[in-house]
Amino acid sequence: MMYLEEALRVLLENKIRSLLTITGLIIGVGAVIAIQVLGSGMSGAVEGVLGNFGDRSFFVQPNPRQGNFLKAALHLRDLQTVKRTVPNIVDAQPFSLVRLVAHARHVHSPATVYTASPQSFETRLFQYGQNLMPSDVAQSRPACILSDKIYRRLFADGRDPIGESVHIGARRYVVIGVLAASRTGILNANQGGDIGLPYTTYERDWLQGRSILAGVFYVADIGTIGETEVATVKELRKIRKNAADIQYFTIDRKTITGFISALFTVLTLIVALIGAVSLVVAGIGIMNIMLVSVTERTREIGIRKAIGARHGQILWQFFIEALLLCGIGCGIGLALGLGVGYAVNALALVKLSGTVSSIPWLQATLISTGFVILVTIAFGTYPAYRAARLDPIEALRYE
Amino acid sequence: MNDGARAIDLREVTKVYSTGALEVPALRGVSFTVDAGEYVAVMGPSGSGKSTLMNLIGCLDRATSGTYLLDGVDVSSLDDNELAQIRLQKLGFVFQGFNLLGRTDALRNVALPLFYAGIGGRERAEAARERLSDVGLADRARHKPSELSGGEQQRVAIARALVNDPAVLLADEPTGNLDSQTSEDIMQLFGSLNAAGRTIIMVTHDETVAAHANRVIRLHDGLVVADATMPERRHSG
Repeated sequence: MMYLEEALRVLLENKIRSLLTITGLIIGVGAVIAIQVLGSGMSGAVEGVLGNFGDRSFFVQPNPRQGNFLKAALHLRDLQTVKRTVPNIVDAQPFSLVRLVAHARHVHSPATVYTASPQSFETRLFQYGQNLMPSDVAQSRPACILSDKIYRRLFADGRDPIGESVHIGARRYVVIGVLAASRTGILNANQGGDIGLPYTTYERDWLQGRSILAGVFYVADIGTIGETEVATVKELRKIRKNAADIQYFTIDRKTITGFISALFTVLTLIVALIGAVSLVVAGIGIMNIMLVSVTERTREIGIRKAIGARHGQILWQFFIEALLLCGIGCGIGLALGLGVGYAVNALALVKLSGTVSSIPWLQATLISTGFVILVTIAFGTYPAYRAARLDPIEALRYE
Repeated sequence: MNDGARAIDLREVTKVYSTGALEVPALRGVSFTVDAGEYVAVMGPSGSGKSTLMNLIGCLDRATSGTYLLDGVDVSSLDDNELAQIRLQKLGFVFQGFNLLGRTDALRNVALPLFYAGIGGRERAEAARERLSDVGLADRARHKPSELSGGEQQRVAIARALVNDPAVLLADEPTGNLDSQTSEDIMQLFGSLNAAGRTIIMVTHDETVAAHANRVIRLHDGLVVADATMPERRHSG
């Protein structure tokens, strides 16, 4: 207890020096803790980004960087072939979109029109009306589902639009549902666009034999989705006679999660590296200032030894001082890291995930406690040993 | 204090400093004893070995050869930590330069040896307060050394030296940094401590200071050249 009191007094006597000494530690620990907090928010955000990107389905797209893009382009007949020949695939739908101008009464707005099916909105909420019916697809009905954004543009007075008409070019579609505003799901929002038409209707009105952007395939057994993706690509290439310059890539939920988490892993590694470097630098700074302190207090050490302090008691005194210095540094770093991490979570990531993730208190505390112990032992022991080893007679003579 | 026993017993003690190839003898066979309750002044010109002798008696250093019994314990062959323990239990130091901890108040300075002896905080403070009032500084307990006069600082140092009830009080030029009036006060204090039975060994080059002791040992070139016990004398007042 008295060691701690003494140490605190010494540090407070050299406030600026102590503060400068622990700056590196504050930054290092702060960075590492912040990334921890962000990490927990990030996983929530990834889920949020994916939203209801169906986990029973995968996308197939021609590789846009390949030599023969046109020859690789997907057509509706390809989907039918795959659906027929590849086991485990229960449904195949086209995905495509086009930028057009829509108007309701006399309000005009640019709108992204896209292919949809009842599955597209399975997990979405509707503020007006309801989802597409299988029969809308089967009979290519002129029905449409509006996003919240386009609804507020076209029906600015906020009236119930169900049953009203939305005109796109010379075509007329009946509004049967309006999606609820969703705070989550960037990807979902992109995929969704503004006005969703039954894909058969879209095909008839807007595709007219042109190629589609991608195929969406639904599988029966989610466990073998990987094999099914491989088989699908194989089938598509077979249709094109296995030309070497024709490539496809597939996207499923795992691909995206994997991509984002790989990105985040790299980010974490970089921050961890910065943290490690700044901890080493901070440790050297602490060691330096402790050595200065030992030299400055040579006479004091001499007095203490003359009075009868044992080796271990001097060692302990300086070790506790280093420990306190590290403890304060890591404590401030912890608070700073939690604060920054939480702020970024609350201000930015929450927009993606919809919920503020909880702070990983235990993890953060364990990490910073670990740093305290590590840095103190690595960089505080030698100065303390130097102090303990001083010869009392010479130390007393020191001016 | 064990009255009648030998407080200090030095037998043919030598100390040789080696600086590279050169060997410099500082003590060349010193033998004397000090009984408990004595008040001894060690005198000698600089280079005579009195500082070396003081360091040996104070267990801050070890003799090159010879035997040294302190309060009945042979300390000649103890290691650093054991010597520290001896200093803590059997010795009290008073230095020329006071050697108080600068940023620490008088009470804590006095209590410091008890801290190293592992005595609890409350007991420490109590004992330290008592010693401070023994040297007439009860009202200065919370003052830091920089807020005390030289004489007061030396009194704090004396209180600190006495707090663990040592067998021997060692003083190295205790009045060297003090004016004559304050020196006289400190010598009065030493006198009364000795009168109460405290064994004191004091190094000084000042004859008037040495005159307060009841025995004077003179060193020259690392040897004892004179050892005179004075007739019982009254301390000037």
